[in-house]
Amino acid sequence: MARATLDALTYRYPGGAADALSNASLTVDGGLNVVAGPSGGGKSTLLRVFNGLVPHFHGGRVSGHARVAGLDVIATPTRRLARDVGFVFQDPELQAVYGTVDREVAFGPENEAVPAAEIPRRIGEALEAAGAAHLAGRTLRTLSGGERQRVAVASALASRPAVLVLDEPTSQLDDEGCEMVLATVRRLAGEGTTIVVSEHRLERLMDIATAFIEVDAGKVRALDPAAWNAPPQPVRLQPATTRHTEAWCVRVASVGFGGTPVLEDVDAGGCGGEVVALTGPNGGGKTTLLRLVGGLLAPTAGKVVRRPGRVAYLPQNPAALLHRPSVRDEVRFTLDRAGDGTETPEAILEELGLSASASRYPRDLSSGERQRAAAAAVLAGSPSLVLLDEPTRGMDARARDALIAVIARLRDRGAAVVLATHDVALRTAVADRVLSVAGGRVMECVK
Amino acid sequence: MACLLIVLMTTNPAYKGAVLAAALCALAAGAGPRRISRLLAAVAAVATFAALLNFVSAHLGETVLFSLPAQIPAVGGPYTLEALAFGAAGGITIAAAILAVAPFSLLLEPHDIVDALPDALARSGAAIAASLNLVPEVGATFVQVSEAQRMRGWRPRGPRSWAEVVVPVVLTSVESSLQLAESMEARGFGSGPRTHVDPPRMSAGDWLVTACAGAAIALFLIASTAGWAQPWAAYPTLSPPAVNAIALLACALLLAPVVAWRARR
Repeated sequence: MARATLDALTYRYPGGAADALSNASLTVDGGLNVVAGPSGGGKSTLLRVFNGLVPHFHGGRVSGHARVAGLDVIATPTRRLARDVGFVFQDPELQAVYGTVDREVAFGPENEAVPAAEIPRRIGEALEAAGAAHLAGRTLRTLSGGERQRVAVASALASRPAVLVLDEPTSQLDDEGCEMVLATVRRLAGEGTTIVVSEHRLERLMDIATAFIEVDAGKVRALDPAAWNAPPQPVRLQPATTRHTEAWCVRVASVGFGGTPVLEDVDAGGCGGEVVALTGPNGGGKTTLLRLVGGLLAPTAGKVVRRPGRVAYLPQNPAALLHRPSVRDEVRFTLDRAGDGTETPEAILEELGLSASASRYPRDLSSGERQRAAAAAVLAGSPSLVLLDEPTRGMDARARDALIAVIARLRDRGAAVVLATHDVALRTAVADRVLSVAGGRVMECVK
Repeated sequence: MACLLIVLMTTNPAYKGAVLAAALCALAAGAGPRRISRLLAAVAAVATFAALLNFVSAHLGETVLFSLPAQIPAVGGPYTLEALAFGAAGGITIAAAILAVAPFSLLLEPHDIVDALPDALARSGAAIAASLNLVPEVGATFVQVSEAQRMRGWRPRGPRSWAEVVVPVVLTSVESSLQLAESMEARGFGSGPRTHVDPPRMSAGDWLVTACAGAAIALFLIASTAGWAQPWAAYPTLSPPAVNAIALLACALLLAPVVAWRARR
């Protein structure tokens, strides 16, 4: 029996210029339903229909019909649908209400007025099902991103929903966290839970997918999962033909916060025309090293030297950059500040596949598009040193390829590139050298 | 709340100072000196600015410390001990008021508010929780944004230039709160009466703090009404503030959280 049906559903966000979903008709059955498509295509909007966040929370205009677990989505408020549809968001840090694992998981049952005596049993069951039983009693702040996302899955399961919806649950996680969450999804699907999940790393799910839904430009299509082919891995770049002199170096440098050392006696350096990738576990010091190289942090000991020229810095959180009325204005802001009047914003927007979004307000974009907009905003012009912190977060394969091409162009122009990334495909494609940053130490990795 | 009421009830810097000391001790006991160090630096800066502003702008009082030529616009004229003392009293008031409300954001988690509200106010609780979520978020976002903009060539050049930092900070913080609100909605918050797996209960320490706060307000009110807690005026000639033991005892009662919160931490 169908768990959810959409019938000619059309939806437009308030103030939106186009429909986010256009005449979508779909049937969702039990099993693992994988939703895929380009960034900004409408995946998150579709998923939010299942628990009524679209249209009840976001407003906007809706027509057509949607039913989930026998309930009319348009006529039923989200808080009622929550009993039947569990939802896991992208960012594990922004969806938690409580500070401890048990209280966080109990939040849903409490809202449903489940008798207090029964809630501990629900907590135990949900944590067990999400593979997070060992986290019971822990404080959320002490958990890794992957562990927190597992707690989010447990929180959704605690209400015993008919359908579990996950919106790119791994997009903010490192490789380890990603494996952790996808293993949970696979196990739940194997145990018979109805799951609807949008994900860019399809290769890790498609072997057990029972349905494959493509969402592109608001159009929804059900495809045969067996016919899905893994996209090719990005092609490894040829090394730059010219290697320039040293562009940056860190000499016996240490840095710390509040008396706690983060990096100690670090020696590292890179040349113009060279891409250096930083790898290592979360909290190992990759971002701190990038900030040190960029001059955002002063070393407590040792020294950091950079050759003159503009530094382009892409922080982990693209929202930290975006504030102009349009994507084009964001790029122009950087070019104006850099005094680079010869280049127009259109060039890099074209390269990163953002031409169609050039006039849009950056914060109205999907997370993957935002990441590209932020990349365009910092990489425009001719930076001498390029520092990228997890630049492919939330990006699909096509967007990643476009970013790789931009990195290659800047490198060939003589820019020194340093990127901190968990993305193995990106690292393999672009890195001339790989530095492992862990436990406050930096070591050269042998290829 | 008791700290705030008393500090606003009196003009006497002795009692304001006592309230400030109590609020500081309570905050340090609840949050730990390390967590409040930045807040204290900011409060000290604001209080000092307020004190100096009065010293520079109010050329009143009889004890002249030095004078600048009256022809100098805004700052010319006599600089008096009374203006300095009045400014310092104002600075203490501001500092005490900020520290009195700081536990609300430093010691309470958004869920503490949600739990404490009756079911009828559940929807308002969601809004309050989302708003409170802004508080710790803003500091971290400010660092991220100012760094990112600095790397794009932004430099602080007058008040207007700060829009390049302030606007993204506000937008990012609001987005975070909306995400939390969306998450709460998606988990059925506000759908009706709630149960509590761990119902909020008043501990002995909570009762102690509540009782002492109530007693402090009552005692200070009595002392003020009876004329024991004398007001203070810096002008025209500076005189030391009068101190009454009952009013001072009321201020001392505000130290109750030091006992209760230290045990909780």
